[in-house]
Amino acid sequence: MLLWLLILIIVVVILLIVTIYYYNSFVVLHNRIENAFSQIDVQLKKRNDLIPNLVETVKGYAKHEKTVFADVTKARKEMMVSGGSYESKMKASDMMSNALKSIFAIAENYPDLKANTNFLELQRELSDIESKIAYTRQFYNDSILYFNTIVERFPGNIFAGLFGKKKQTYFETSEAERKNVKVSFE
Amino acid sequence: MDDYFKKYQKISFYDQVKRNKIQSFFLILVIILIIIALGYVIGYIYNPGMIWFFIIIATVISIIYTLIGLYAGSGIALASVGAKEADSKVYAQLHSIVEGLCLGAGLPKPKVYVMPLDEINAFASGRNPANAVVCVSEGSLKYLTRRELEGVLAHEMSHIANYDIRFMTLAVVMVGIISIIAQIFLRSLWFSSGNNDNKNGIFIIIGIVFAILAPLFAMMVQMAISRKREYMADASAVKLARDNSGLVGALKKIGGYYETKQSKLKSSAVSSLFIAEPSLAARLFSSHPPLKDRIKALESM
Repeated sequence: MLLWLLILIIVVVILLIVTIYYYNSFVVLHNRIENAFSQIDVQLKKRNDLIPNLVETVKGYAKHEKTVFADVTKARKEMMVSGGSYESKMKASDMMSNALKSIFAIAENYPDLKANTNFLELQRELSDIESKIAYTRQFYNDSILYFNTIVERFPGNIFAGLFGKKKQTYFETSEAERKNVKVSFE
Repeated sequence: MDDYFKKYQKISFYDQVKRNKIQSFFLILVIILIIIALGYVIGYIYNPGMIWFFIIIATVISIIYTLIGLYAGSGIALASVGAKEADSKVYAQLHSIVEGLCLGAGLPKPKVYVMPLDEINAFASGRNPANAVVCVSEGSLKYLTRRELEGVLAHEMSHIANYDIRFMTLAVVMVGIISIIAQIFLRSLWFSSGNNDNKNGIFIIIGIVFAILAPLFAMMVQMAISRKREYMADASAVKLARDNSGLVGALKKIGGYYETKQSKLKSSAVSSLFIAEPSLAARLFSSHPPLKDRIKALESM
Protein backbone atom coordinates (compact mmCIF):
# COMPACT_ATOMS: atom_id res chain seq x y z
CA MET A 1 0.00 0.00 0.00
CA LEU A 2 2.75 2.39 1.01
CA LEU A 3 4.79 1.37 -2.04
CA TRP A 4 2.00 2.36 -4.40
CA LEU A 5 1.68 5.70 -2.67
CA LEU A 6 5.41 6.29 -3.06
CA ILE A 7 5.30 5.42 -6.75
CA LEU A 8 2.33 7.71 -7.25
CA ILE A 9 4.10 10.61 -5.55
CA ILE A 10 7.21 10.08 -7.67
CA VAL A 11 5.15 10.00 -10.86
CA VAL A 12 3.29 13.15 -9.89
CA VAL A 13 6.55 14.95 -9.08
CA ILE A 14 8.05 13.91 -12.41
CA LEU A 15 4.96 15.10 -14.26
CA LEU A 16 5.12 18.39 -12.41
CA ILE A 17 8.77 18.92 -13.31
CA VAL A 18 8.15 18.10 -16.95
CA THR A 19 5.15 20.44 -17.09
CA ILE A 20 7.13 23.30 -15.58
CA TYR A 21 9.96 22.58 -17.99
CA TYR A 22 7.71 22.83 -21.01
CA TYR A 23 5.88 25.89 -19.73
CA ASN A 24 9.17 27.69 -19.20
CA SER A 25 10.53 26.52 -22.52
CA PHE A 26 7.55 28.00 -24.30
CA VAL A 27 8.05 31.30 -22.50
CA VAL A 28 11.74 31.41 -23.39
CA LEU A 29 11.18 30.44 -27.01
CA HIS A 30 8.30 32.86 -27.46
CA ASN A 31 10.37 35.70 -26.05
CA ARG A 32 13.22 34.73 -28.28
CA ILE A 33 10.97 35.08 -31.31
CA GLU A 34 9.75 38.50 -30.17
CA ASN A 35 13.30 39.64 -29.48
CA ALA A 36 14.46 38.34 -32.85
CA PHE A 37 11.72 40.36 -34.53
CA SER A 38 12.78 43.54 -32.77
CA GLN A 39 16.40 42.91 -33.78
CA ILE A 40 15.26 43.02 -37.41
CA ASP A 41 13.55 46.32 -36.67
CA VAL A 42 16.75 47.75 -35.21
CA GLN A 43 18.61 47.07 -38.45
CA LEU A 44 15.78 48.33 -40.62
CA LYS A 45 15.67 51.58 -38.71
CA LYS A 46 19.45 52.02 -38.96
CA ARG A 47 19.19 51.62 -42.70
CA ASN A 48 16.28 54.00 -42.99
CA ASP A 49 18.14 56.67 -41.07
CA LEU A 50 21.07 56.58 -43.49
CA ILE A 51 18.94 57.05 -46.58
CA PRO A 52 18.50 60.87 -46.57
CA ASN A 53 22.29 61.30 -46.32
CA LEU A 54 22.81 58.88 -49.18
CA VAL A 55 20.24 60.59 -51.39
CA GLU A 56 21.77 64.03 -50.78
CA THR A 57 25.30 62.78 -51.49
CA VAL A 58 24.35 61.05 -54.72
CA LYS A 59 22.15 63.96 -55.85
CA GLY A 60 25.22 66.15 -55.61
CA TYR A 61 26.72 64.24 -58.53
CA ALA A 62 23.79 62.68 -60.38
CA LYS A 63 20.91 65.13 -60.12
CA HIS A 64 19.04 63.97 -63.15
CA GLU A 65 18.77 60.26 -62.28
CA LYS A 66 15.18 60.88 -61.22
CA THR A 67 13.74 57.34 -61.23
CA VAL A 68 16.32 56.00 -58.84
CA PHE A 69 15.64 58.71 -56.27
CA ALA A 70 11.90 58.27 -56.67
CA ASP A 71 12.26 54.55 -55.99
CA VAL A 72 14.30 55.08 -52.87
CA THR A 73 12.01 57.76 -51.52
CA LYS A 74 8.98 55.61 -52.19
CA ALA A 75 10.68 52.63 -50.50
CA ARG A 76 11.49 54.75 -47.47
CA LYS A 77 7.89 55.83 -47.18
CA GLU A 78 6.81 52.22 -47.39
CA MET A 79 9.21 51.32 -44.59
CA MET A 80 7.77 53.96 -42.35
CA VAL A 81 4.13 53.16 -42.87
CA SER A 82 4.40 49.40 -43.19
CA GLY A 83 2.22 47.60 -40.68
CA GLY A 84 3.43 45.52 -37.79
CA SER A 85 3.23 42.21 -39.60
CA TYR A 86 6.40 40.46 -40.60
CA GLU A 87 5.17 39.97 -44.13
CA SER A 88 4.49 43.63 -44.85
CA LYS A 89 7.70 44.74 -43.20
CA MET A 90 9.73 42.31 -45.29
CA LYS A 91 7.99 43.38 -48.48
CA ALA A 92 8.92 46.97 -47.74
CA SER A 93 12.45 45.96 -46.79
CA ASP A 94 12.96 44.04 -50.03
CA MET A 95 11.67 47.06 -51.96
CA MET A 96 14.31 49.19 -50.22
CA SER A 97 17.07 46.66 -50.90
CA ASN A 98 16.25 46.73 -54.58
CA ALA A 99 16.12 50.52 -54.69
CA LEU A 100 19.52 50.67 -53.01
CA LYS A 101 20.94 48.15 -55.47
CA SER A 102 19.82 50.48 -58.27
CA ILE A 103 21.44 53.51 -56.68
CA PHE A 104 24.75 51.74 -56.27
CA ALA A 105 24.53 50.44 -59.82
CA ILE A 106 23.98 53.96 -61.13
CA ALA A 107 26.87 55.24 -59.03
CA GLU A 108 29.19 53.10 -61.14
CA ASN A 109 28.78 55.68 -63.89
CA TYR A 110 29.99 58.58 -61.82
CA PRO A 111 33.70 58.23 -60.94
CA ASP A 112 33.67 61.46 -58.93
CA LEU A 113 30.89 60.10 -56.78
CA LYS A 114 32.73 56.82 -56.31
CA ALA A 115 35.75 58.74 -55.01
CA ASN A 116 33.71 60.71 -52.51
CA THR A 117 34.66 59.53 -49.02
CA ASN A 118 31.22 60.19 -47.58
CA PHE A 119 29.66 58.05 -50.29
CA LEU A 120 32.15 55.25 -49.72
CA GLU A 121 31.49 55.28 -46.01
CA LEU A 122 27.73 55.15 -46.60
CA GLN A 123 28.15 52.33 -49.07
CA ARG A 124 30.16 50.33 -46.57
CA GLU A 125 27.68 50.94 -43.77
CA LEU A 126 24.66 50.10 -45.88
CA SER A 127 26.31 46.96 -47.15
CA ASP A 128 27.03 45.98 -43.56
CA ILE A 129 23.41 46.63 -42.56
CA GLU A 130 22.03 44.59 -45.48
CA SER A 131 24.11 41.67 -44.30
CA LYS A 132 22.83 42.14 -40.75
CA ILE A 133 19.24 42.33 -41.91
CA ALA A 134 19.77 38.96 -43.57
CA TYR A 135 21.19 37.51 -40.38
CA THR A 136 18.44 38.88 -38.13
CA ARG A 137 15.83 37.47 -40.48
CA GLN A 138 17.62 34.15 -40.41
CA PHE A 139 17.61 34.09 -36.63
CA TYR A 140 13.95 35.06 -36.54
CA ASN A 141 13.04 32.20 -38.83
CA ASP A 142 15.26 29.76 -36.97
CA SER A 143 13.57 30.74 -33.72
CA ILE A 144 10.15 30.11 -35.22
CA LEU A 145 11.30 26.82 -36.72
CA TYR A 146 12.60 25.66 -33.38
CA PHE A 147 9.42 26.73 -31.59
CA ASN A 148 7.21 25.01 -34.16
CA THR A 149 9.23 21.82 -33.93
CA ILE A 150 8.61 21.58 -30.19
CA VAL A 151 4.97 22.50 -30.50
CA GLU A 152 4.38 19.87 -33.16
CA ARG A 153 6.40 17.00 -31.76
CA PHE A 154 5.46 14.68 -28.93
CA PRO A 155 5.27 15.35 -25.99
CA GLY A 156 5.49 19.08 -26.61
CA ASN A 157 2.26 19.03 -28.54
CA ILE A 158 0.32 17.97 -25.49
CA PHE A 159 1.64 20.83 -23.42
CA ALA A 160 1.21 23.22 -26.30
CA GLY A 161 -2.44 22.35 -26.40
CA LEU A 162 -2.67 22.79 -22.65
CA PHE A 163 -1.10 26.22 -22.67
CA GLY A 164 -2.72 27.32 -25.88
CA LYS A 165 0.52 27.69 -27.84
CA LYS A 166 0.10 27.60 -31.56
CA LYS A 167 2.46 27.06 -34.41
CA GLN A 168 3.64 30.31 -35.91
CA THR A 169 3.92 31.00 -39.59
CA TYR A 170 6.84 32.50 -41.33
CA PHE A 171 7.61 33.87 -44.70
CA GLU A 172 10.86 33.33 -46.45
CA THR A 173 12.54 34.68 -49.54
CA SER A 174 14.28 32.30 -51.88
CA GLU A 175 17.61 30.87 -50.85
CA ALA A 176 19.54 32.46 -53.69
CA GLU A 177 18.32 35.96 -52.91
CA ARG A 178 19.39 35.58 -49.35
CA LYS A 179 22.89 34.35 -50.11
CA ASN A 180 23.43 37.29 -52.40
CA VAL A 181 22.29 39.85 -49.92
CA LYS A 182 24.90 38.79 -47.43
CA VAL A 183 27.75 39.89 -49.69
CA SER A 184 25.83 42.68 -51.33
CA PHE A 185 27.26 45.78 -52.92
CA GLU A 186 30.81 44.45 -52.94
CA MET B 1 7.21 28.36 -46.69
CA ASP B 2 6.94 24.66 -46.11
CA ASP B 3 9.67 24.07 -48.68
CA TYR B 4 12.03 26.06 -46.50
CA PHE B 5 11.01 23.92 -43.53
CA LYS B 6 11.48 20.67 -45.42
CA LYS B 7 14.77 21.64 -46.96
CA TYR B 8 16.45 22.54 -43.73
CA GLN B 9 15.12 19.47 -41.97
CA LYS B 10 16.58 17.23 -44.62
CA ILE B 11 20.04 18.67 -44.73
CA SER B 12 22.53 16.50 -42.97
CA PHE B 13 24.15 19.04 -40.74
CA TYR B 14 21.30 18.88 -38.26
CA ASP B 15 21.90 15.14 -37.93
CA GLN B 16 25.65 15.72 -37.72
CA VAL B 17 25.27 17.94 -34.69
CA LYS B 18 22.93 15.53 -32.93
CA ARG B 19 25.06 12.51 -33.76
CA ASN B 20 28.19 14.18 -32.49
CA LYS B 21 26.51 15.20 -29.25
CA ILE B 22 25.51 11.57 -28.58
CA GLN B 23 28.93 10.23 -29.49
CA SER B 24 30.70 12.79 -27.33
CA PHE B 25 28.55 11.68 -24.43
CA PHE B 26 29.62 8.06 -24.89
CA LEU B 27 33.25 9.01 -25.21
CA ILE B 28 33.11 10.80 -21.87
CA LEU B 29 31.47 7.66 -20.45
CA VAL B 30 34.39 5.59 -21.68
CA ILE B 31 36.81 7.88 -19.89
CA ILE B 32 34.82 7.54 -16.67
CA LEU B 33 34.92 3.76 -17.02
CA ILE B 34 38.68 3.86 -17.44
CA ILE B 35 38.93 5.85 -14.21
CA ILE B 36 36.79 3.32 -12.37
CA ALA B 37 38.75 0.37 -13.80
CA LEU B 38 42.05 1.93 -12.82
CA GLY B 39 40.75 2.57 -9.32
CA TYR B 40 39.53 -1.00 -9.06
CA VAL B 41 42.86 -2.51 -10.11
CA ILE B 42 44.73 -0.30 -7.67
CA GLY B 43 42.28 -1.18 -4.94
CA TYR B 44 42.79 -4.84 -5.61
CA ILE B 45 46.49 -4.43 -4.96
CA TYR B 46 46.24 -2.32 -1.85
CA ASN B 47 43.25 -2.31 0.42
CA PRO B 48 40.13 -0.53 -0.87
CA GLY B 49 40.75 2.39 1.45
CA MET B 50 43.67 3.47 -0.74
CA ILE B 51 41.53 4.04 -3.83
CA TRP B 52 39.62 6.78 -2.11
CA PHE B 53 42.85 8.44 -1.06
CA PHE B 54 44.08 8.57 -4.64
CA ILE B 55 40.77 9.68 -6.03
CA ILE B 56 40.31 12.48 -3.52
CA ILE B 57 43.74 13.96 -4.13
CA ALA B 58 43.34 13.64 -7.87
CA THR B 59 39.90 15.22 -7.73
CA VAL B 60 41.07 18.19 -5.67
CA ILE B 61 43.94 18.84 -8.05
CA SER B 62 41.59 18.47 -10.99
CA ILE B 63 39.05 20.90 -9.58
CA ILE B 64 41.76 23.53 -9.15
CA TYR B 65 42.98 22.76 -12.67
CA THR B 66 39.43 23.10 -14.03
CA LEU B 67 38.80 26.42 -12.34
CA ILE B 68 42.04 27.84 -13.66
CA GLY B 69 41.26 26.46 -17.10
CA LEU B 70 37.76 27.87 -17.21
CA TYR B 71 38.41 31.27 -15.70
CA ALA B 72 41.92 32.09 -16.84
CA GLY B 73 41.99 29.92 -19.95
CA SER B 74 41.14 32.67 -22.40
CA GLY B 75 43.74 34.99 -20.94
CA ILE B 76 46.42 32.32 -21.11
CA ALA B 77 45.52 31.41 -24.68
CA LEU B 78 45.56 35.01 -25.86
CA ALA B 79 48.84 35.79 -24.11
CA SER B 80 50.52 32.70 -25.53
CA VAL B 81 50.03 33.93 -29.10
CA GLY B 82 50.63 37.61 -28.47
CA ALA B 83 47.10 38.61 -29.36
CA LYS B 84 45.94 42.20 -29.23
CA GLU B 85 42.36 43.39 -29.04
CA ALA B 86 41.12 44.40 -32.47
CA ASP B 87 40.29 48.07 -32.80
CA SER B 88 36.77 48.45 -34.15
CA LYS B 89 37.78 51.12 -36.69
CA VAL B 90 40.95 49.49 -37.97
CA TYR B 91 39.35 46.04 -38.19
CA ALA B 92 35.89 47.23 -39.17
CA GLN B 93 35.16 44.38 -41.54
CA LEU B 94 36.22 41.77 -38.99
CA HIS B 95 33.95 43.28 -36.36
CA SER B 96 31.12 43.53 -38.84
CA ILE B 97 31.37 39.84 -39.73
CA VAL B 98 31.43 38.84 -36.06
CA GLU B 99 28.41 41.05 -35.32
CA GLY B 100 26.46 39.56 -38.20
CA LEU B 101 27.17 36.02 -37.03
CA CYS B 102 26.12 36.93 -33.50
CA LEU B 103 22.83 38.25 -34.82
CA GLY B 104 22.35 35.06 -36.80
CA ALA B 105 23.10 32.84 -33.84
CA GLY B 106 21.49 34.91 -31.09
CA LEU B 107 24.77 35.10 -29.20
CA PRO B 108 26.28 38.06 -27.37
CA LYS B 109 29.27 39.54 -29.12
CA PRO B 110 32.59 38.11 -27.94
CA LYS B 111 35.76 40.19 -27.59
CA VAL B 112 37.68 40.23 -30.85
CA TYR B 113 41.45 39.78 -30.96
CA VAL B 114 44.06 39.60 -33.67
CA MET B 115 47.30 37.62 -33.43
CA PRO B 116 50.29 38.92 -35.37
CA LEU B 117 51.04 35.79 -37.41
CA ASP B 118 51.19 35.31 -41.16
CA GLU B 119 49.65 31.84 -41.16
CA ILE B 120 45.90 31.34 -41.52
CA ASN B 121 44.48 30.28 -38.20
CA ALA B 122 41.92 31.28 -35.58
CA PHE B 123 40.57 30.18 -32.24
CA ALA B 124 37.81 30.86 -29.79
CA SER B 125 37.90 30.51 -26.03
CA GLY B 126 35.67 31.12 -23.06
CA ARG B 127 33.65 29.15 -20.56
CA ASN B 128 30.32 30.46 -21.84
CA PRO B 129 29.07 32.77 -24.60
CA ALA B 130 28.94 35.78 -22.30
CA ASN B 131 32.65 35.48 -21.50
CA ALA B 132 33.99 34.47 -24.85
CA VAL B 133 36.83 35.71 -27.04
CA VAL B 134 37.54 35.05 -30.67
CA CYS B 135 40.98 35.54 -32.21
CA VAL B 136 42.14 35.47 -35.83
CA SER B 137 45.62 35.73 -37.29
CA GLU B 138 46.76 38.60 -39.49
CA GLY B 139 47.29 35.98 -42.17
CA SER B 140 43.59 35.10 -42.13
CA LEU B 141 42.70 38.71 -42.79
CA LYS B 142 45.29 38.88 -45.53
CA TYR B 143 44.67 35.66 -47.43
CA LEU B 144 40.98 34.92 -47.02
CA THR B 145 38.05 36.43 -48.89
CA ARG B 146 35.19 37.88 -46.89
CA ARG B 147 33.12 34.75 -47.35
CA GLU B 148 35.99 32.51 -46.28
CA LEU B 149 36.68 34.66 -43.23
CA GLU B 150 32.99 34.45 -42.44
CA GLY B 151 33.17 30.64 -42.66
CA VAL B 152 36.15 30.51 -40.29
CA LEU B 153 34.48 32.85 -37.80
CA ALA B 154 31.23 30.90 -38.06
CA HIS B 155 33.22 27.79 -37.09
CA GLU B 156 34.74 29.55 -34.09
CA MET B 157 31.43 31.07 -32.99
CA SER B 158 29.94 27.58 -33.21
CA HIS B 159 32.51 26.32 -30.72
CA ILE B 160 31.31 29.04 -28.39
CA ALA B 161 27.63 28.33 -29.03
CA ASN B 162 28.05 24.59 -28.51
CA TYR B 163 29.92 25.14 -25.24
CA ASP B 164 32.81 23.18 -26.73
CA ILE B 165 35.40 25.02 -24.74
CA ARG B 166 33.79 24.07 -21.48
CA PHE B 167 33.28 20.52 -22.74
CA MET B 168 36.90 20.12 -23.82
CA THR B 169 38.17 21.60 -20.56
CA LEU B 170 36.19 18.94 -18.68
CA ALA B 171 37.56 16.22 -20.94
CA VAL B 172 41.10 17.45 -20.35
CA VAL B 173 40.45 17.39 -16.60
CA MET B 174 39.23 13.78 -16.77
CA VAL B 175 42.38 12.77 -18.59
CA GLY B 176 44.30 14.68 -15.96
CA ILE B 177 42.64 12.72 -13.14
CA ILE B 178 43.59 9.46 -14.78
CA SER B 179 47.17 10.57 -15.32
CA ILE B 180 47.47 11.75 -11.74
CA ILE B 181 46.03 8.54 -10.29
CA ALA B 182 48.40 6.53 -12.47
CA GLN B 183 51.36 8.66 -11.44
CA ILE B 184 50.58 8.44 -7.73
CA PHE B 185 50.15 4.70 -8.03
CA LEU B 186 53.45 4.20 -9.84
CA ARG B 187 55.29 6.40 -7.41
CA SER B 188 53.78 4.65 -4.42
CA LEU B 189 55.04 1.33 -5.75
CA TRP B 190 58.51 2.74 -5.85
CA PHE B 191 58.35 3.49 -2.16
CA SER B 192 56.52 0.46 -0.91
CA SER B 193 58.51 -2.41 0.51
CA GLY B 194 57.41 -5.84 1.72
CA ASN B 195 53.94 -7.06 0.83
CA ASN B 196 55.32 -9.01 -2.04
CA ASP B 197 53.54 -12.32 -2.01
CA ASN B 198 53.04 -14.00 -5.35
CA LYS B 199 49.41 -13.17 -5.77
CA ASN B 200 50.04 -9.47 -5.47
CA GLY B 201 53.09 -9.70 -7.75
CA ILE B 202 51.07 -10.44 -10.87
CA PHE B 203 48.52 -7.78 -10.13
CA ILE B 204 51.21 -5.24 -9.52
CA ILE B 205 52.52 -5.91 -13.00
CA ILE B 206 49.03 -5.61 -14.44
CA GLY B 207 48.61 -2.44 -12.43
CA ILE B 208 51.81 -0.95 -13.82
CA VAL B 209 50.91 -1.77 -17.39
CA PHE B 210 47.45 -0.37 -16.83
CA ALA B 211 48.82 2.76 -15.18
CA ILE B 212 51.05 3.42 -18.16
CA LEU B 213 48.48 2.57 -20.80
CA ALA B 214 45.45 4.21 -19.21
CA PRO B 215 46.64 7.80 -19.60
CA LEU B 216 47.63 7.09 -23.21
CA PHE B 217 44.27 5.57 -23.91
CA ALA B 218 42.47 8.40 -22.19
CA MET B 219 44.45 10.89 -24.29
CA MET B 220 43.36 9.05 -27.43
CA VAL B 221 39.76 9.24 -26.30
CA GLN B 222 40.12 12.94 -25.53
CA MET B 223 41.52 13.58 -29.00
CA ALA B 224 38.69 11.53 -30.52
CA ILE B 225 36.20 13.74 -28.69
CA SER B 226 38.05 16.81 -29.93
CA ARG B 227 37.84 15.59 -33.52
CA LYS B 228 34.11 14.92 -33.23
CA ARG B 229 33.62 18.39 -31.90
CA GLU B 230 35.54 19.84 -34.80
CA TYR B 231 33.19 18.12 -37.26
CA MET B 232 30.28 19.43 -35.24
CA ALA B 233 31.65 22.96 -35.35
CA ASP B 234 32.05 22.66 -39.11
CA ALA B 235 28.43 21.54 -39.42
CA SER B 236 27.17 24.30 -37.13
CA ALA B 237 29.19 26.84 -39.08
CA VAL B 238 27.42 25.86 -42.29
CA LYS B 239 24.07 26.08 -40.53
CA LEU B 240 24.96 29.55 -39.27
CA ALA B 241 26.39 31.01 -42.46
CA ARG B 242 23.87 29.12 -44.64
CA ASP B 243 26.76 28.43 -46.95
CA ASN B 244 29.57 25.87 -47.04
CA SER B 245 31.74 27.49 -49.72
CA GLY B 246 33.35 29.94 -47.30
CA LEU B 247 34.65 27.38 -44.86
CA VAL B 248 35.65 24.96 -47.64
CA GLY B 249 37.64 27.69 -49.36
CA ALA B 250 39.33 28.65 -46.11
CA LEU B 251 40.29 25.05 -45.22
CA LYS B 252 41.74 24.57 -48.69
CA LYS B 253 43.82 27.70 -48.29
CA ILE B 254 44.97 26.61 -44.84
CA GLY B 255 46.03 23.22 -46.23
CA GLY B 256 47.90 24.94 -49.01
CA TYR B 257 49.66 27.26 -46.60
CA TYR B 258 50.87 24.57 -44.20
CA GLU B 259 52.18 22.50 -47.07
CA THR B 260 54.85 25.03 -47.82
CA LYS B 261 55.27 27.14 -44.73
CA GLN B 262 56.13 26.34 -41.16
CA SER B 263 53.70 27.20 -38.43
CA LYS B 264 54.90 29.53 -35.73
CA LEU B 265 52.23 28.24 -33.39
CA LYS B 266 53.84 25.91 -30.92
CA SER B 267 51.60 23.01 -30.08
CA SER B 268 50.59 24.21 -26.67
CA ALA B 269 47.56 23.58 -24.53
CA VAL B 270 45.70 25.92 -26.83
CA SER B 271 46.48 24.03 -30.02
CA SER B 272 43.22 22.11 -29.79
CA LEU B 273 41.31 25.37 -29.91
CA PHE B 274 42.66 26.38 -33.32
CA ILE B 275 40.66 25.88 -36.46
CA ALA B 276 43.35 23.67 -37.92
CA GLU B 277 46.15 21.82 -36.25
CA PRO B 278 49.45 23.25 -37.40
CA SER B 279 51.60 20.30 -36.34
CA LEU B 280 51.37 16.85 -37.85
CA ALA B 281 50.53 14.64 -34.91
CA ALA B 282 49.87 10.96 -35.51
CA ARG B 283 46.31 10.40 -36.54
CA LEU B 284 45.04 8.97 -33.25
CA PHE B 285 46.57 11.78 -31.27
CA SER B 286 45.58 14.66 -33.48
CA SER B 287 43.01 17.05 -32.09
CA HIS B 288 41.59 17.87 -35.52
CA PRO B 289 40.37 15.60 -38.29
CA PRO B 290 42.49 15.70 -41.45
CA LEU B 291 41.67 18.70 -43.62
CA LYS B 292 40.78 16.49 -46.58
CA ASP B 293 38.12 14.66 -44.57
CA ARG B 294 36.67 17.89 -43.27
CA ILE B 295 36.45 19.35 -46.75
CA LYS B 296 34.79 16.18 -48.01
CA ALA B 297 32.22 16.25 -45.21
CA LEU B 298 31.48 19.93 -45.82
CA GLU B 299 31.07 19.49 -49.54
CA SER B 300 28.46 16.82 -48.95
CA MET B 301 26.21 19.26 -47.12
